[in-house]
Amino acid sequence: MKISIDWLKDYIELPESPQKLRDDLTMAGLVVEGISACDGDTVLEVEVTANRPDCLNHVGVARELAALYDRPLRLPPARSRMRLRVERIPYSIEIRDPQLCPRYCGLVLDGIRVESSPGWMQKRLDACGMRPINNIVDITNYVLLEIGHPLHAFDFDLLSGGRIIVSRAADGQKIVTLDGLERLLDPEMLLINDGAGPVAIAGVMGGLHSEISLKTGRVLLECAYFSPPSIRRTSKRLGLSTEASYRFERGVDWDGTVAAVGRTARLIGEHAGGRLAGSLQDVNPGKLEPVRIELGKERAERLLGVRLEDGFVEATLKRLNFRLQRKGKGRWLVICPTYRADMELEADLIEELARFFGYQNIPTTMPAARIAGTPSPVSACETAARRSLMGLGYSEAVHLSFAGSRELNQFRVPGVDAPEIRNPLTEETQFLRTTLAPGLVASVRRNFNYDTYRVRLFEIGKVFRKDSDGLPVERRALGIVGTGGFAGFNWHHPSEEFDFFHLKGAVAGMLSALRSEDFRVLPGAGLPWLNPSDSASLIVGGQQLGVLGSLHPALQEEYKLRQAVFLAEIDFEGLCSHLFSPVHYEPMPRFPRVERDLCVVLDRSVRYEDVKAGIVGLGLHHLREVDLIDVYEGAGIPPDKISMTFRLVFLDREKTLTIDRIQSFGDNVLAFLQNSFGAQLR
Amino acid sequence: MIDQIRDLTDQFEKDLASVRDMDTYAAVRNKWLARETGLITASMKRLRDMPREERPAFGQAMNELRVRVEERMAKLLDGLKLAAREQEIARKSVDVTRPGFPYPLGWEHPIRRLQAEIEQIFVSMGFRVFDCPEVETEYYNFEALNMPRRHPARDAQDTFYFDEAALRLLRTHCSTVQVHAMETMKPPVRAVSAGRVYRRDPFDATHSPMFFQVDVLAVDEGITMGDLKGTLEMFLKRIFHPDTQMRLRPGYFPFVEPGAEVDISCIFCFGKGCRICKQTGWIEILGAGMVHPKVLRMSGVDDSRYSGFAWGMGIDRVAILKYGVEDIRLFFENDLRFLRQF
Repeated sequence: MKISIDWLKDYIELPESPQKLRDDLTMAGLVVEGISACDGDTVLEVEVTANRPDCLNHVGVARELAALYDRPLRLPPARSRMRLRVERIPYSIEIRDPQLCPRYCGLVLDGIRVESSPGWMQKRLDACGMRPINNIVDITNYVLLEIGHPLHAFDFDLLSGGRIIVSRAADGQKIVTLDGLERLLDPEMLLINDGAGPVAIAGVMGGLHSEISLKTGRVLLECAYFSPPSIRRTSKRLGLSTEASYRFERGVDWDGTVAAVGRTARLIGEHAGGRLAGSLQDVNPGKLEPVRIELGKERAERLLGVRLEDGFVEATLKRLNFRLQRKGKGRWLVICPTYRADMELEADLIEELARFFGYQNIPTTMPAARIAGTPSPVSACETAARRSLMGLGYSEAVHLSFAGSRELNQFRVPGVDAPEIRNPLTEETQFLRTTLAPGLVASVRRNFNYDTYRVRLFEIGKVFRKDSDGLPVERRALGIVGTGGFAGFNWHHPSEEFDFFHLKGAVAGMLSALRSEDFRVLPGAGLPWLNPSDSASLIVGGQQLGVLGSLHPALQEEYKLRQAVFLAEIDFEGLCSHLFSPVHYEPMPRFPRVERDLCVVLDRSVRYEDVKAGIVGLGLHHLREVDLIDVYEGAGIPPDKISMTFRLVFLDREKTLTIDRIQSFGDNVLAFLQNSFGAQLR
Repeated sequence: MIDQIRDLTDQFEKDLASVRDMDTYAAVRNKWLARETGLITASMKRLRDMPREERPAFGQAMNELRVRVEERMAKLLDGLKLAAREQEIARKSVDVTRPGFPYPLGWEHPIRRLQAEIEQIFVSMGFRVFDCPEVETEYYNFEALNMPRRHPARDAQDTFYFDEAALRLLRTHCSTVQVHAMETMKPPVRAVSAGRVYRRDPFDATHSPMFFQVDVLAVDEGITMGDLKGTLEMFLKRIFHPDTQMRLRPGYFPFVEPGAEVDISCIFCFGKGCRICKQTGWIEILGAGMVHPKVLRMSGVDDSRYSGFAWGMGIDRVAILKYGVEDIRLFFENDLRFLRQF
């Protein structure tokens, strides 16, 4: 809202410096966002919050300053005599929906000369960002900016039958508004009609037909109070927000209609030759009453944490034009000014007291700590996972939670439908993501574009799907991506290429840092965007909780990625219930462990995990660990075979194991491998 | 006999002087101390050819010589080993100015780092972390926060929704924690909740359709606006700088009354006035207030007995101010050149 300082001075004496005015208004709750010079005037850009429509005009701001500085307010002069003994121009007003239009005032003037408005008025309208049109329209706009009440002037000669009927629109009814557009109406919208049909959309915009023109000689002034939610709905539905609708939907002074008509009539008399021709008609079926609130000082003191004097309470509220009736010690019945649309509860009055007490004067205290501060179970897991992944060399990423149909097709998750946003900003943000993978892959590509080819990222964030009722549901997921050299290229280490087992190792490292239950990685992920050659599922505590593998070569090509990219995605919420298993401490062994390596040649189809499970299944009492320490294929090995070297670790907690016993364990394992897997010692 | 001993001694001294390295040392040692063929053993064998009366003296002299040879040889060996080690050390000296091994390191996302820091500060002050959903109902996001349908305050929060009736939507703020926390916890309530929020703002340098917020709530008997100020002040000093000044001015949020806008002294000019603070010395940082009685009531809290404070803040905004990031989009691009700086 643009406020002209020159204009404000009509109503109140102001401090010399606009900067002081800016600071005082800002601290009173009317934030001044900018000060600009305009044709010898200074204009403040005031941010008026939705609860204070009474400050969307110059008198309103002056009124606030009058209370703040405790200075008198000079209200603009208005026409006081608005009734004729004999009506020269009869007209009628009928309200058919008092719910949506509790009050409607009308007045008819004749002898109008439509011409340009006076220069000073044009200058003020200009300063406030309004384009001057003609004296009648300018005067209604001037009054809007002056006292905040939207008015409409109809060309009386274009109103059929001299009648005003306020009623809901019929379904499918149409009106051409002042901006020349045809508007389709519905029965929730309120219309101003004449004897023949609609002439204005109530509180939003007038109709083109009855617009003021150079031919206008008689006008009917409308000043009404409409139900704020109704105006807001109409304005939203039509996509039409005007100075009038903006104020009506926030709430104007329902008791200020007559004064606004008087002020307008006076200005028209002064600047457009208007004479009273049809008396003021104040149709007031809504019977609105001022808001009355009971105020207890004790409640205010308790909420603010300060002591308040009775005198302070009374003086403050009176300065703000509240009327008080004392109801006992520290208790009042407070009658609120009708322009204060924000007044409803005691807390609203307490805020007024706090504003004038000064927020800065409220002493600072600390609340008692009444409960133990704790992270939520999921946030605790998240913190641990984030730390461990960062320690493993992965940087944390954040992507927008949206997805476009292109990505959803590329990264289809079978059985999962993406929730669709009804009012998306762009095609790329039309859906919610169902997987973290597309964001991670896009970030890999972006890094490649910036010549960063060693990329390790992870993200913990929500993924979404439609439930069986089609409603969006969310679940926290963890996504990991890795590509490029294992470590940065450096004189010390010829950089090894990141592969599936680096990714698997990172997942395993994180799981072990989080004290996860046992987990397994099994071939096959069931996702079309992972490479079938290495895609795998992560099983934790018997539940499939994730996938890992490299990006499908087709997508790698589509994304123009110059090297393989490895992805993992884990249902983080599901994982959380398998983490932080209890610690089982085992004393340090007093006897040495003995390692024995077995190098065997096996069919390529034999899987390490099966071999390991078989060895463990032998139940060798002192076998503590089985590990795979080397894999070899190539020269010296038939092409359908592969060589694996297992390291067996034996430990007897009671005594030192003898060479003979270890030899017999080793022979045992070898015999098993030969019999069960056709292994040959290499 | 004496001559023989003297000759041997002289010869040994000469041989000793000729030792240059481990090879020559081994040769000399072998010449003198080899078990069968060494000069000492060989000379001792001559004992048998000596007259009986000379034998003790010769034997003794030879023994002395042997001890002498062994001692001198051992000493020489020590010296040689020392020299060899020093040589080895000198040979293996490294250029310590070369870069160390590039262990792969991961970096924290600046917004998430702040989020964790903020949560931790409030956990330390006795608040419980709440996880609230991102997909919300109209009730939790608006209605229960005293923003009924057709409330103009909804204008400031252009919402993404999933159905024509706009009943299911993406939360526009973390203030939903107020309702969730009060529904799950009876007073005393101390809750902090942070995360992603969504508003229908086109993506540009200063706006993003998704950003991060944190909301804090305390509901209890006797919670005052002074408690709000105290908690805020402690928090702002910890997250920005111990010298940070704070000011509250009246502000409007439908779910608090009284409501406040909270400014901090400009962290760039320390309140003197600069471009960032538009010469005012203050930067608007968050919205706060005392929980609106209607909000308390709707969440089943008796507003005649309990009061509360609540505030909400954009975490991205703090990151932008704290680190001087000029474009909000950088937070969502995950450019490692960017992330590596935090």
